[in-house]
Amino acid sequence: MREGGDEDLELHRRLSSGDPGAFDELYRRYASPAYGLAYRLTGQQLLAQDVVHDAFMALWRAPEAYDPARGAFRTFFLALVHHRAVDTVRREERLRKRQERASNLEPTHGEDVAEDVVDEAFMGVRRRQVRAALKLLPPEQHKVLQMAYFEGMTQVQIAEELQIPIGTVKTRTLAAMKKLRRALQTEEDA
Amino acid sequence: MSTPEHARIDELLAGYVLRSLSGQDAAEADRLLSEHVPGCAGCRQTLADFQAVSADLALDATPIEPPETLLPLLHRELEPGERRRRPVQMFAVAASVVVVAGLAGMAVTQSVRADNGRKEANALRAVMDTASLPDAHLVPVGPATEVSAPGHEFFYLYGREVPSPPPGMVYRVWLVSGTTPTYVDEFVPDHGYVNLQVSVFDPSAYDALWVTQAPAGSEPVAPAPADALWRSES
Repeated sequence: MREGGDEDLELHRRLSSGDPGAFDELYRRYASPAYGLAYRLTGQQLLAQDVVHDAFMALWRAPEAYDPARGAFRTFFLALVHHRAVDTVRREERLRKRQERASNLEPTHGEDVAEDVVDEAFMGVRRRQVRAALKLLPPEQHKVLQMAYFEGMTQVQIAEELQIPIGTVKTRTLAAMKKLRRALQTEEDA
Repeated sequence: MSTPEHARIDELLAGYVLRSLSGQDAAEADRLLSEHVPGCAGCRQTLADFQAVSADLALDATPIEPPETLLPLLHRELEPGERRRRPVQMFAVAASVVVVAGLAGMAVTQSVRADNGRKEANALRAVMDTASLPDAHLVPVGPATEVSAPGHEFFYLYGREVPSPPPGMVYRVWLVSGTTPTYVDEFVPDHGYVNLQVSVFDPSAYDALWVTQAPAGSEPVAPAPADALWRSES
């Protein structure tokens, strides 16, 4: 992880000075995880492409938005992608509901996408650690995390969907985040 | 703050990094992020830890190669002139200059006083177009309204009945990240009317919008939270 982080910092430094080669290298490193994340949230290739496009353009136009003192580049960039994807999901959901009300059409389902790709080595290691950590969560905690992070739902929506008090959603979310933090920090320190 | 209060803050921070807060919880998180977290080492650490977990969660999604057309599309937009160039529109506001302020992740365009009705109509239409989007956010900022929509890298500060500041004073607009206010620009309403466009590359980079009052022509000095005459409420 640390090696990948150092390389990211150097690439970000070059990007900040306007080096298109650094942009290409960051694209090579992060386009696939970013697109995979955006696709998982939006379920549509065009929307996922828009999300990733906008995230990379935002990075190019304002590289100073990332402050190395506030954490790893990967944390910043994937959060940027996630936020944009969540916003897109919520916008599209409202549009879809409007359209459904208007035309009573079936909702759009996901599309076929290409096979997954080979990770950067450091990210592949981390991915395995994350998936192992997620398996440690009790199902009810995993569920609220899944609904919040990968379905873009608010805690209020999750409470309604699961028919549980919102306080329970908050408790489960916090417990899940703390467990993941412990598990992933342990892996990182190992 | 007490332990129970910090337990409540931790819950909000967990929801915040997952982008799953809404309503009062989102407003409370904004307030904490600007007023409490920056001065609390424990909360800063918790926030950083949760942000790292959130980024790790992204890796649970299977990586997928984007369409081959995406990188060439991006390359076309990497032309030197594209960098930091923000959309420029003309707005009917009281200020008499066009300002493009290159701040951290942000640029601001303020326009000239409208010298004819067409410009004012166009400016108003731009605000209304955004406000009428299905997921638009209209947030009160004192007597004005912040109008924004997810996925749009700008928002408006709009008002028709904004009182004039005392003689010799101006309003100043600040975007706040944590406890750090970044000066945006100043304005004086034109017969109560203000229409300011603020372009933001990364909306998550700021937590609140403040409006302060200051003597015209004075150097902008970062205000304390108590100095905010008006502030966004969510």
